[in-house]
Amino acid sequence: MAEAVHAPAAGGGIDLDYVRTLMAHFEPQDWQEGQELILGALQEVNEHFGYVSIEAAEIVAERLGTTATRIFGLLTFYADFRTEPRGKHFMLMCHGMSCYVMGSQQLVQQLADNHGIGDGGTTEGGELTVQVVNGCLGACNQAPVVKLDDDFYGRLTDESFNALVQRVIAETPKEQ
Amino acid sequence: MAEQTAGLPRLTSQKEFDAFRAKAIEKWQAIWSGEKTIVSVGVGSSSIPVGALNVLAAFEAIADQENLIVRKTGQDGADWTDVQARVKRKDAPAVVYRNVVASDAKGIIDGKHRSKIIGVEGDEEYDGHKPLNSLPFYKYQQRIVLQDVGVIDPDSIEEAIARGAYMGLYKALFELSAEEVIAEVTTANVRGRGGAGFPAGIKWESGRKARVTPKFVTCNSHEGEPNVYKDRRIHEGDPHRILEGILIACVAVGAERGYNYVGGEYPLAIERFRKAVNDATALGLIGRNLLGSGKNVAFRMRTGGGAYICGEGSAMMYSIMGVRGQPRTKPPRSVEEGLWKRPTVANNTETLSNMRDIVVKGGEWFAQFGTERSKGTKLMTVQGPMKTLGLVEVPMGTRFKTLIDEVWGGMRDGYAFKGVQTGGVSAGPLRYHQLDVPVDFDSLTPLGGMLGSGGFVVFDETVCSVDFARYLTAFNRVESCSKCVPCARGNPALVEAIDRIRFGRGSQSDLALMRRTSKHVIELSLCGLGQVAPMPLLGMMDQYPEEFQTHIDGVCPCGVCPVSAQSTVEAIAAD
Repeated sequence: MAEAVHAPAAGGGIDLDYVRTLMAHFEPQDWQEGQELILGALQEVNEHFGYVSIEAAEIVAERLGTTATRIFGLLTFYADFRTEPRGKHFMLMCHGMSCYVMGSQQLVQQLADNHGIGDGGTTEGGELTVQVVNGCLGACNQAPVVKLDDDFYGRLTDESFNALVQRVIAETPKEQ
Repeated sequence: MAEQTAGLPRLTSQKEFDAFRAKAIEKWQAIWSGEKTIVSVGVGSSSIPVGALNVLAAFEAIADQENLIVRKTGQDGADWTDVQARVKRKDAPAVVYRNVVASDAKGIIDGKHRSKIIGVEGDEEYDGHKPLNSLPFYKYQQRIVLQDVGVIDPDSIEEAIARGAYMGLYKALFELSAEEVIAEVTTANVRGRGGAGFPAGIKWESGRKARVTPKFVTCNSHEGEPNVYKDRRIHEGDPHRILEGILIACVAVGAERGYNYVGGEYPLAIERFRKAVNDATALGLIGRNLLGSGKNVAFRMRTGGGAYICGEGSAMMYSIMGVRGQPRTKPPRSVEEGLWKRPTVANNTETLSNMRDIVVKGGEWFAQFGTERSKGTKLMTVQGPMKTLGLVEVPMGTRFKTLIDEVWGGMRDGYAFKGVQTGGVSAGPLRYHQLDVPVDFDSLTPLGGMLGSGGFVVFDETVCSVDFARYLTAFNRVESCSKCVPCARGNPALVEAIDRIRFGRGSQSDLALMRRTSKHVIELSLCGLGQVAPMPLLGMMDQYPEEFQTHIDGVCPCGVCPVSAQSTVEAIAAD
């Protein structure tokens, strides 16, 4: 995933050639279908790069017959999308009701107190971005649960959660 | 796409489908009557986090030397058994193991790990193990929607067809007229499973009668509530059932195209459903001239972007159309003017998942389950510190107490029951003494609860009702689409008032203020989200008035809210 990202200056950190290739797969038969495909296209860009830059939005808009302005209207409305780059690691923190009653509120608090980040925030060194999920990750038996990159960590306590976050930060190679 | 669906013939007539089905059934029976031991592992969104894929791989690694058939299925709903494995030996019922880890694989085949056995399939005892159907979790269930979930491999259209998939569509294409299909649905009196409880038959009827074309059918699988995962599990366990329901609706209503709108946050559900759509298209069950019947149905899947409001009908349609999902005023209703301003029949996933059996077995068969006014079964999920957590399908009208104490096994050790939040973020909680009620569309409402989409959250004595009310109200505040002022401004005002109380700065006037603001939000909001947004808060205030009072007096009984921390600080300072 990381190696696909180059030429940061040109595309707002996004490899625009990749976006163009991706968009070539979208072949709307008419204007209506083009409109219907916008959200799906944005999701693929967001999935691959972790966010959607203005430049990428322009490519999507051009292909599907809309404007970058409207695309930004969508990006800021739907919770899944980001318009800023993510850190090296990405954590989805389940804050569904199941996780709430099992103590996820405290975990959100721990994050703010110990690492100074809130929903959507990135640690100072760029190691970790945390997004609090208002919906449900579907692993309620493991509540409270987080998904770090591709792995789930369940039945967390304040201690095990802090240890997890500290480990991620410590083990991520520093930029300089 | 091509290689995914390789090997599937395109069926162009009724006869070819019959032949394909006969072959699929033969193949299915051959698996189960063979010499080999069959291991089925439940792989889904709640078992993958605890290593289901590793378990599957561990069995596959020893498959050759132990002479096994290893298959993946959806999860049968018993999340408390994750990872679940079913081992079926020749001439014996399948033995069900719970909490299997990868290193157990060899031992299970060798007959060890007997303590992990929860029972055997069927109704008979075997080898000293109880039948599954005698366990409370399974005993009260009546599985219609879930009958094949945990049985078939969700990625195999052949297994689905062997178990009866697309027979409802088949009947709707060749044996029944559109009017007859709708008559069966009306007889079944199946009410919308998304929460509103509107009869599907009436909706289909008005869709059928609409004069404008083209028409559309949308399946609402968004399920953005923070406590429900039933639709996701149907997608993961039996995607063809949903697809078939949508196709039946299209044929009955005369719609040109069906849509399924899935929340973008369910990668596995999307992946399995997409595979199902590709396979069905390859077989000729979607597209032009279905099985030579002359009927055309197109299909599209669309994904959302994580906005709870998109579960509202008109918001969902706007989201499909690629704009912000903000509800609009009604009328016109969606059956008159929906997607792309065309008549659109919108149903919930669970509603559509019932359609196969309603068409095949008839509306009267379906209507035998449930209560007078709520027919059929309901998928229900529970969350919180319960012993046997999971997704169940029980007849409408099952007693709430039975669900809590037996089906879901009561509270885990060390937790004391305080209440159960009903209706997601749209209603209030119930206390234990109120639980002696049947669970259906209408019985919970007078108590301040709601069936909603069937998600319940049990909370224990360590959860503060004021803090919980804040969580629920804050959810609605964040998820408000900000289109209309009462909801966009009212919900933040409510959160502020609750926060004053949580921080120990509240007064009696805040309680009155919250009631007054709630009234405004409920009466003046445009859509369903705003109209019910303050209900959880009002419910908490009605059920736990004493806790709100103690907060105003300066103490949080659970020690969760900031007011307690302050009083400790003040107490120390005073010391």
